[in-house]
Amino acid sequence: MIRTRHLLLKLALTAFVIASLCLIYLNARITATFADKMWELPAKVYARPLELFVGARLTREDLAYELQVLGYRKVSVLRNPGEVTQSGGRFDIFTRGFTFPSERELAHRIKVVTGPERVEQLSAGGKALDLMRLDPLQIGGIYPSHGEDRVLVRLADVPEALRLGLLAVEDQSFYQHWGFSFTGIARAALSNVRSGQVVAGGSTITQQLIKNYYLTPERTLVRKLTEVVMAVLLEFHSSKDEILESYINEVYLGQEGPRSIHGFALAARHYFDTPLDQLGLHQQALLVGMIKGPSLYNPLRNPKRAKARRDVVLDVMARQGVISTEHAVIAKAMSLGLNNHGRVRDSFPAFLDLVRRQLRLEYHEDDLTTLGLSIFTSFDPLLQRQLERSTTEVMDKLDKGGELQSASVVTRFDTGEVAALVGGRKVRYAGFNRALDARRPAGSLLKPAVYLAALEQPRKYTLATPLQDTTLTVAGPGGQNWSPRNFDRTAHGEVLLHSALAKSYNLATARLGMDLGLEAVVDMLRRLGITGPVPEVPSLTLGAGEYSPMDMAAMYQTIAAGGFRMPLRSIRDIVDAHGQPLRRYPLEYDRTVSLQAIHLVHYAMREVVREGTGRGVYRYLKPDFEVAGKTGTTNQGRDSWFAGFSGDLLAITWIGHDDNNGTGLTGSSGALKVWADFMAGASERSLSYRMPDNIETHWIDNRHGVLTGEGCPDARMLPFIAGSEPAKSTGCRPRKSPVADWFQSLFGGDN
Amino acid sequence: MPQLRCFMKCTAIILALFLSGCSIYSAPGSEPVPVESNPEYTPVTPAATAPQTAPSAPEPNSSDAYRGLLDKADTATGRGDYEQALALLERAQRIDPDSGEIYLGLAKTYRAKGDEKLAVATAERGLLYCDGKAQCDALRTYLN
Repeated sequence: MIRTRHLLLKLALTAFVIASLCLIYLNARITATFADKMWELPAKVYARPLELFVGARLTREDLAYELQVLGYRKVSVLRNPGEVTQSGGRFDIFTRGFTFPSERELAHRIKVVTGPERVEQLSAGGKALDLMRLDPLQIGGIYPSHGEDRVLVRLADVPEALRLGLLAVEDQSFYQHWGFSFTGIARAALSNVRSGQVVAGGSTITQQLIKNYYLTPERTLVRKLTEVVMAVLLEFHSSKDEILESYINEVYLGQEGPRSIHGFALAARHYFDTPLDQLGLHQQALLVGMIKGPSLYNPLRNPKRAKARRDVVLDVMARQGVISTEHAVIAKAMSLGLNNHGRVRDSFPAFLDLVRRQLRLEYHEDDLTTLGLSIFTSFDPLLQRQLERSTTEVMDKLDKGGELQSASVVTRFDTGEVAALVGGRKVRYAGFNRALDARRPAGSLLKPAVYLAALEQPRKYTLATPLQDTTLTVAGPGGQNWSPRNFDRTAHGEVLLHSALAKSYNLATARLGMDLGLEAVVDMLRRLGITGPVPEVPSLTLGAGEYSPMDMAAMYQTIAAGGFRMPLRSIRDIVDAHGQPLRRYPLEYDRTVSLQAIHLVHYAMREVVREGTGRGVYRYLKPDFEVAGKTGTTNQGRDSWFAGFSGDLLAITWIGHDDNNGTGLTGSSGALKVWADFMAGASERSLSYRMPDNIETHWIDNRHGVLTGEGCPDARMLPFIAGSEPAKSTGCRPRKSPVADWFQSLFGGDN
Repeated sequence: MPQLRCFMKCTAIILALFLSGCSIYSAPGSEPVPVESNPEYTPVTPAATAPQTAPSAPEPNSSDAYRGLLDKADTATGRGDYEQALALLERAQRIDPDSGEIYLGLAKTYRAKGDEKLAVATAERGLLYCDGKAQCDALRTYLN
């Protein structure tokens, strides 16, 4: 008897020790994690904000699109932030306001009147506004592997009806119990017995929070017991309001692809595109109702079921005295109030990939997915829309089968910011990012580097220097001979340097490159911004090597910017979760190439599109719209390239097959079309003619490269670095010519 | 005689047009590289004046739009907050990338911050956009 009693005592003691240890462990779990830093907040990635001012180039359609993707609701009368009325070109907008790095833009009502091309009026409260910016579009996030996303909210900022409605539906005795409720469990048990299966949990809000945050979803007795113990412990450590606030931020309310929607604040944005504090009663009731089954009652997929559930919640709220019966009736008569516009968040995988790569140079993955950073980028949704349209429309015409691939990079070359990016034919498909990762020979896209290396020696080379476009054979590596050919398989004899580049003659370029020396060409490529491997072989002069569209963008960025090398940027600022600026990516550049030599190459690249291999751009552009560019084609038409710039944008386009098969396209019959279609729809400014110091123009005989007079046979005006013009002359006396070429027209004031 | 003079004038005009046209389109060598033809393109015929720097038409009112930013940048520079000043100037430059005034503001701020290399590079680039002797001269002082 005594022995039995001892045994029971031992067992009880052992059970007590185990229970105590479990309690200590569970208590430690709660105290260690249930604190300020309990939430993992993914980084939010924002597009550039749209700047509004009188004179800004912005069409009515562009502004309407920007407001649409920002989720502004079209209404008849402005009442709340995030609403817009539109009548023709007039927009009345109740802006949302936004805290930018170091600056805050307040929410206010503004009037914007757009003309055919520009903003014509901008005012607020009847007073003219000089400048303002809309809130930036969130284009994506950098989520942890479990995909949780949320926007934190304080309990004080949660609408009262939502808070009380939540308690009425989920936990009526929340402020009375100690973490679990016997009556709740009894009610759930009764429901389960009646239905013969587990249909109700009877969990309090505290238990639900514990379950969601700490435990797995399986329904076992041990898990239930753990849940109850931890709920009591949580109640011991935290106030009721702290627990309710945590629940409101933790509750799971749906899925969007790999991203899971947590918390009421993010759900309000996701389903209604409205801040939580501006939700209507009908919307609040829907969110409360969705807790029971976020997938079952997803209003985007099951609107009828969601509406029925919302109405049940409104009835409960009325019965519990949270709202009046009249309010419930009015709310039940309303539609779901969903945000029905097409979603754009996480729709630009190629650009987000670029942002991530830049971030990972400086940040750990964990920091990006948990610290709630705000990443402000240079992404321009209007340019991206045009780039996607041009890519899809042109590619569908070029290749109906859908096998051919394309990639493009667009920068604003004045600031070196990447504004749009397409990584493949399926423009929104998050697969192989060809804009960054395709490695292809560049063909004639490298030729400007050869000519720049030459033109930096003005005593030896000018645009009027005669070059020999005749066959040549060069000993290559491994004893192999290299004998390049022209595209048309014809040697053109003596050609002037500017024509050799404009018409992309291979023989003349290869001879020039060999005369300069391969080291000079490699050096120029480095100064232009090519950082990867460059093969020092004779065929480099015609584009040998492996380059991505982004590599070409870096090179042409330096050319477009006038010889100033800039690191291409996709990020402007990073701000921490409290709004404090962490890092700014400033404008940086360095002049690495002679201003004057670049100016001369600009001339030849303008000639490419006026008289040379790139003339096809004017099937898309207006005749007086100035651009400069260069075509590129590789052997057997495996790669079709076009690179060029207008007055505001630089764009690089590549077309080819992933398996490196021939495309049957040249630079001008393929990539040029995407490029020109994009520029025609997106570029706002024609390329201006800006002559640096120490540049002069002279009339040249275009057959022999000697001075001649205006109006003489074969006369054309060419720019020269002062003192480098030819000494010889035809002796022809100037006479007036009624016809001017495109170069002279640059001075006619049309551009 | 008047008929002969008229005939000679017409012949001269036709000849001039023909030769000028050749000067635009003549290509050395026999066969041109295959390119897409551009039937819509016709040469424009403005008055052929002596070339000079011809900046594009200024953005209407863009200086009104960025004036406030330049003033704020001045204030930020005055209190030694160069990063804030540069952020404001870069925003202004995005609004009007062709403003020599903004380049000058950037060059001043880089110099005040002690970044002489960037001040010089900015001034050198700004010279392509400067408007008026005073502004161009102010930018040139950074190159000396």
